[in-house]
Amino acid sequence: MKKLTTAAVGIVAVLALTSCSTGGSGDGASTELNVYAWADEIPQSVFDAFTEETGIKVNVDNFDSNETMISKLAAGNSGYDIVEPSQYAVQQLVGQDLIETLDKSKIEGIENLAPKFADPSYDPGLEHSVPWVWGTTGLLYNSACTGGEEITSWESLFDPKWKGKVNMLDNMLAAYIAGLQVNGYDADSTDEDEINAATESLIEQKPILSGYNSTNYGDLVASGDVCISEAWGGTSTAKIIEQNPDVHYVLPEEGGSLWVDGLSIAKGAPHQDAAYEFINFLLRPEIAAMATNDGGLASANAAAQEHVTDQGVLSNSAVYATDEEVANADFIVDPGEAMKYYQDGWTRVKAS
Amino acid sequence: MTVDRVVNGFARGVFVFLYLPIVAVIVYSFNAAGTNTRFEGLTLQWYVELFQDAALMQTLQTSAIVAVITATVATIIGIMFALGIARYRGRGRASLLALIALPLIVPEIVLGVALLSVFSTTRIPLGIGTLVLGHLIVSLPLATLVLMSSAVMLDPSLPEAATDLGCTPWQTFTRVYFPLLRPAVVAAWLLSFTTSFSNIVMSTFLSGVGSTTLPLKIYSSLKTGLTPTINALGALLILLTLVIVLLVGVTQMRRILVESRG
Amino acid sequence: MTSTTRAIQLGRKERPKRGSLLLLVPGIASVVLLGILPLFIVARNSFAVADNYGGITDGLTFDNYAKLLDPVYSKTLFYSLGLGVLNTVVCLVVGYITSYYIVSRPPNRQGFLLLLVIIPFWTDFLVRTFAWITILGSGGPIAGVLGVFGVAGFSLIPSNVAVVLGLLYSFLPTAIFPIYASMRSIDPSLKEAATDLGCGWWGVHRRVILPLTGPGILGAALLTFIPTMGVFVIPVLLGGGKDPLVGNLIVTLYTEFRNQPMGAAASMVLLLLMLISMVLVGLGLKRSSAKKGA
Repeated sequence: MKKLTTAAVGIVAVLALTSCSTGGSGDGASTELNVYAWADEIPQSVFDAFTEETGIKVNVDNFDSNETMISKLAAGNSGYDIVEPSQYAVQQLVGQDLIETLDKSKIEGIENLAPKFADPSYDPGLEHSVPWVWGTTGLLYNSACTGGEEITSWESLFDPKWKGKVNMLDNMLAAYIAGLQVNGYDADSTDEDEINAATESLIEQKPILSGYNSTNYGDLVASGDVCISEAWGGTSTAKIIEQNPDVHYVLPEEGGSLWVDGLSIAKGAPHQDAAYEFINFLLRPEIAAMATNDGGLASANAAAQEHVTDQGVLSNSAVYATDEEVANADFIVDPGEAMKYYQDGWTRVKAS
Repeated sequence: MTVDRVVNGFARGVFVFLYLPIVAVIVYSFNAAGTNTRFEGLTLQWYVELFQDAALMQTLQTSAIVAVITATVATIIGIMFALGIARYRGRGRASLLALIALPLIVPEIVLGVALLSVFSTTRIPLGIGTLVLGHLIVSLPLATLVLMSSAVMLDPSLPEAATDLGCTPWQTFTRVYFPLLRPAVVAAWLLSFTTSFSNIVMSTFLSGVGSTTLPLKIYSSLKTGLTPTINALGALLILLTLVIVLLVGVTQMRRILVESRG
Repeated sequence: MTSTTRAIQLGRKERPKRGSLLLLVPGIASVVLLGILPLFIVARNSFAVADNYGGITDGLTFDNYAKLLDPVYSKTLFYSLGLGVLNTVVCLVVGYITSYYIVSRPPNRQGFLLLLVIIPFWTDFLVRTFAWITILGSGGPIAGVLGVFGVAGFSLIPSNVAVVLGLLYSFLPTAIFPIYASMRSIDPSLKEAATDLGCGWWGVHRRVILPLTGPGILGAALLTFIPTMGVFVIPVLLGGGKDPLVGNLIVTLYTEFRNQPMGAAASMVLLLLMLISMVLVGLGLKRSSAKKGA
């Protein structure tokens, strides 16, 4: 009998919950907004402030990779309004017709964005996305572990001197940034010969690697298990540097690369009005600054900088790399047709 | 008998092995340093942050609801199948067994992506319902296999005896079968619950708006780094389990899990 | 009168059979709708062509299978099979000994011990894995203790030892449960009789307990070996991710390479290999039960 009651309660709970999630559609004044974003990149404080001002309830779900998010949208009928793709993912979403072309007349404050994001190569004219936070791909190293030696170049990742103490990001496009730039090529190359040369370098590099890890590489560098690692700048990297004075983050002299996560509206979003309202809200300088103040990330919004409470963070290269530092950095864009050279190469690297 | 002593010592070592990481989780949940790589004295800070994290608590609730429904449905279907197959002597018995075990041999990501396209073609909205269905297909084989190992041991003359004594089929089930199968039922439920509660891959593809599960939340926050708050939650869940075990009563637990076959 | 008795007898004989068929329906329906139907989609996609943006076009090609013949893939497959066999053997040995220990406890302790086996798995998988990283890593307790004795620089992260430990940890309960279940059904008097006849510890196990636990051990072997093929987080976090497993390969094809058709083809090949191994195990089971009957 008890079991039956439990089952009944369960079923009622399901009905109640599913009716919530499917309800609230229609084009009228929206009372709900469904956001699908990277964990913690839009701080909870931003959502709270938005709900307080507009009365719109925000449902937030997180994804672990662009690919997961894309496959959800590709299945159709996802129910999400706002998604937060990285730069190359914007191209894929546009290619598969999964996000809306933005109606610029409904967007206010786009002039607040930093000039380097105003007309990016992955989304000319910002037709489909509004940049929100950005960061770099560079080198993280532990100077206690390298014996005080400063690391400034991708070459260190390929130097047998550090055998067993080097980590690479477990991500194809990220690994090829180092592989291509160390050979003197652009990180967004689409040339077969250049990509093949990078593949050879990465295969040669494999015996000196401790491993491929894009999860807790920061901890590995902090503990000295790994001396030098390819790394993404951002919250966790900044946190590790703050806790351990021996750990440093630099952009390599070959250039490194930039990543940007922005806001897009999913195709057929059920709450379009609320979605535009949300984008406009996030374009306000004082709200955009919360990405730095509460989320520890660099805002793509130039006007936000004066609202950053800890001005020191603006010169911390693990968060806000300076314009000089990123002068040679490449945007990693979707390789399109050249994707197959990368894939064949990466398969050979992994199997070698 | 000295071999027995070595074997016993080894088995006790296995239990230590099983609880090593759990002890580490509990110890590091009080760690003042914001990382697992160093230990810097004690704090309750992470527990405070845990209870302030409404989003995390929401995912815990989702996971619990999905796991309870999944485990209950998987166990009920599993009991039916186990009893049915135990009495079924017809042709194709082996194929039926292979069929029920089939989902075990499909990599979860393959099944997850394929189910996502099934649900999108049939326009079933993603949410708790699709999560339950996805978790059901991975836990059903486990539950059924556990139940079958008990059901095949039942004396085939039992149901006839019960019918002769005037029992309706339902009474036969509740008074004869269920008490005999109880240990297996509990084991199957626990195994399905655990499978569902810790599932990442299926949930990745089958969760919808507002139905992020706890493992999904943890997996997606790997990019910014796991906080000790997650350790605190792990420690609390273990504590909660122990409280439940104590509430249900150790004696009761023994009776449920061990007394079998009359 | 006679006809009524006959009807009753017929009814009694037939009812269990028809009833038992009905009992099978929900299970079969679930597997067909949630398992087989999606697999048809996978099978179809394995012959499709991926477009540049990760979508699937309608084409029909055998390229996806042809590409899998590349030696780089067979290398991954053999490495996975090797690790799968190793993990299965380790899990079976440890699971067998642990099950024997549980079975030889007083009956009123056994349930508690089984519960003890499963409780650790109610903490999140990633949390447990990170706990192992802490324990085995250079900042952990083992390194600390060794450091006191002057052994510096201990760290098992990343290493193959850590991968084997992590896999054993994840699959031990699935190995213990079936072995325990079949071991418990062995009549204790058989063991006594064997001991009386002069069998030592090994003799009792080799001649009595091990053969009678056969089905449970085979079940445990399947439940350990097959899922090991699909593992992809443990080799990366504990082993450094330099030697990918089939699980990593499929995940990479589906996500990073956004090549669902090729991922589907790899899955179909894996599925076929698993089916063959299941049939082999099934034949083994049949032979062992035939032997028992003789």
